[in-house]
Amino acid sequence: MKLRPRSKTVRKPKRGRQTRVAPAPRGKAARGNPLVLQPECTLADAAELKSALCALLAHEATVTLDAASVERIDTAALQLLAAFVRDRRLAGLAVEWRAVSRAMHSAAQLLGMGSMLSLSEAA
Amino acid sequence: MTVDLTQFHDAFFEESFEALDAMEAALLKLDIGAPDPELINTIFRVAHSIKGGSATFGFTDIASFTHSLETLLDELRSGAMPVSDQVSDVLLKSVDVMRAMLRAVQAKQPIDAQHVSDLQFDLEVIIARKPAAPPPPAAPQAAAPQTAAPRIAPRWQVRFRPYRELLARGNDPLRMLRELGELGEMHVQIDAQSLPALTDLQPQDCHLAWTIELSGEIPEEAIRQVFDWAEGDCDLAIGRAAEALAEPQAEQLPAPATPAAAGPTPSEPVAAQVDPQPETPPEAPGATSAAASAPRAETAGKPETAVSAHGDSGSIRVSVDKIDELMNTVGELVITQAMLSQLGGQFDGPQAEQLRAGLAQLERNMRELQESVMRVRMLPISFVFSRFPRMVRDLAHRLGKQIELKLTGEQTELDKTVLEKIGDPLVHLVRNCIDHGIEPPEKRVAAGKPAAGTVHLDATHRGGNIAVEVSDDGGGLDKERILAKARARGLIGANDTLSDAEIYELIFLPGFSTAEKTTDLSGRGVGMDVVRRNVKSLGGKIEVSSEAGRGSRFTITLPLTLAIVDGQSVAVGSETYIVPLISIVESMQLKNGNVSRLSGQGEVFSFRGDYLPIIRLHDVFGVEPHTRALHEGLVVVAEGDGRRVGLFVDDLLGQQQVVIKSLETNYGHIEGISGATILGDGSVALILDVPGLIRVASMRIAA
Repeated sequence: MKLRPRSKTVRKPKRGRQTRVAPAPRGKAARGNPLVLQPECTLADAAELKSALCALLAHEATVTLDAASVERIDTAALQLLAAFVRDRRLAGLAVEWRAVSRAMHSAAQLLGMGSMLSLSEAA
Repeated sequence: MTVDLTQFHDAFFEESFEALDAMEAALLKLDIGAPDPELINTIFRVAHSIKGGSATFGFTDIASFTHSLETLLDELRSGAMPVSDQVSDVLLKSVDVMRAMLRAVQAKQPIDAQHVSDLQFDLEVIIARKPAAPPPPAAPQAAAPQTAAPRIAPRWQVRFRPYRELLARGNDPLRMLRELGELGEMHVQIDAQSLPALTDLQPQDCHLAWTIELSGEIPEEAIRQVFDWAEGDCDLAIGRAAEALAEPQAEQLPAPATPAAAGPTPSEPVAAQVDPQPETPPEAPGATSAAASAPRAETAGKPETAVSAHGDSGSIRVSVDKIDELMNTVGELVITQAMLSQLGGQFDGPQAEQLRAGLAQLERNMRELQESVMRVRMLPISFVFSRFPRMVRDLAHRLGKQIELKLTGEQTELDKTVLEKIGDPLVHLVRNCIDHGIEPPEKRVAAGKPAAGTVHLDATHRGGNIAVEVSDDGGGLDKERILAKARARGLIGANDTLSDAEIYELIFLPGFSTAEKTTDLSGRGVGMDVVRRNVKSLGGKIEVSSEAGRGSRFTITLPLTLAIVDGQSVAVGSETYIVPLISIVESMQLKNGNVSRLSGQGEVFSFRGDYLPIIRLHDVFGVEPHTRALHEGLVVVAEGDGRRVGLFVDDLLGQQQVVIKSLETNYGHIEGISGATILGDGSVALILDVPGLIRVASMRIAA
């Protein structure tokens, strides 16, 4: 378990970058998991978010998403998250939210995405 | 780390300028007193979309101004305020101000705040002073009471299906839904069926759609406004929630199970209000195809048709640079093809025939390609003509004249570069017609003419050229005054007698103006000489004809394009020169007898009762000719600046289209030469500039 993430880091440097920006790595699981969403989750950085999500797509253990510090999020980012959550669920893999900021929560509700993202149990 | 909105600025400016043009056109068509509601709607939508865009991009000054404008327009639209002359004037001024503000913002320059706030003040004064609503004036409006009273329903169903590129254009459904949510209680149902797998998902594409139910007394227009900026980027259907199923044709539903008794009568929504079930958002497959305009048609005519959506217009915007590059490459290809054709003629044998057949085909295809590329650059002249209705209206107002503007041939196409440069000369000509040509109404009536003068702009194709005519039915050019002025300025001798045509030519001399008093319209020294210079720089010419008391007519003849010229190639010694066909009158052989030598004017020959000077090209260009005897060579009678000369050459070689290569960009300007071209054999031929050549030659004779 300890070796795997390191070797993965070498192969997929992008995920390593994502982890670096995470404030405090909480220890367990693969690197980038939990995936900490940036305060600004918008179209401008959607490509980065997508590659971070893609890297976790087939991750076997539960993937934890941390949306505590999201201050601004737009449709493009929410669309990516929705696709991620749905694809994981279809593959029988689990996703959980660690924390969801108020901004993220209200944006998802406005777009009618609450249940798609399984946000209801978080926040 | 927000979305970089600046990338959308260009599109915004371009669309806004186009929209303003449309708004101006609509304003000019607006009848005082009985305005067409559709036109007012067009105008309103322009103001509204500019407001929305500038707010999105943070151009607060523009947003604030357009907000006031919109308020006024709203009053007009609802019929609360009649369209008066004053209102129409202020609205036209607003167009100018918005255009100026957009230009300033585009150029990152400060906005003329004083001007803007003055006009904004005017707008607000008009709004505040609004007269009591007039008794419903327009009969057609009364027939459709919905128009005046905004459609308000207790519960709306909105189906919103963005096109894929909505996000990339800077629109965010989230923002729109948030605004909707502020209107009333909202229930949102997302449709994510077409959302692809994450790995296939392009982050900038939108694959989601929404069905939104809104409860509360909300006017339909308020809902529309939320989506206004996304117009053309999404399918939008707005209907009363209860009715949604009962409007199969509007929604293009595949025959719903229960068409039911619920007709689209105004009494229906009352029933819906009693029964606000949030859990019945009908799953709507039809939302995809429901065009935004369908349900709206009943309320407000069909405004969408005027501001046609750009999504499906079947055209793309391409930068001029790219087209120029294409044009240039095609030009090179033409040269290569000419070279191959020439080479192909030198072979013999069985395969040579095949080669020639192939070359002939290449030539045909080449010509087609060239024409297609040239057509890409062509735009209808209406782009230039469209500015005149406004200008004529303003000028006529200011001068107290009655002018009718007639535009014909607006669809005539010509090269974009030519089009851009012909605008100013035309403006000048039209101004002159109005200022000097058309007489004041009382004078016209006294002369037995209708009080309103006519200015006529016409464009037609004539061979490889386009002719643009500006004519008026005013007093015509005053020969006596022109002569007197020319004498006073020493432009002609006191005893010179001039033909009518020569007199009219005088107005093209620098610094010539016949305006008795200098108005702010004309007579400021920039006159017809500038017009002629501009036209000439486009490779065209301008002629004038006039009849006292009947009016005058200015004819500008322009090449269709600046990239290619129809030329006559002539031989002088071992060199080849190209004379543009547009300047050739005719070619002839001189007999020994009809050449004479005048002191101070060199050689002249008689041509149709006139004596024309002879310019020996070999002298001018310092080439050794095959012959110096005038009767052994040929004379090409050419015209430039209203003067005719005979160009003496060895021989005529043939007519061909040549691709112009600029000498100025590659070398430098040479008087008498307008450019160069590469001939089929790879040699370079210079293209003659006849007016310049005449100047060079007359200086040599004078020296």
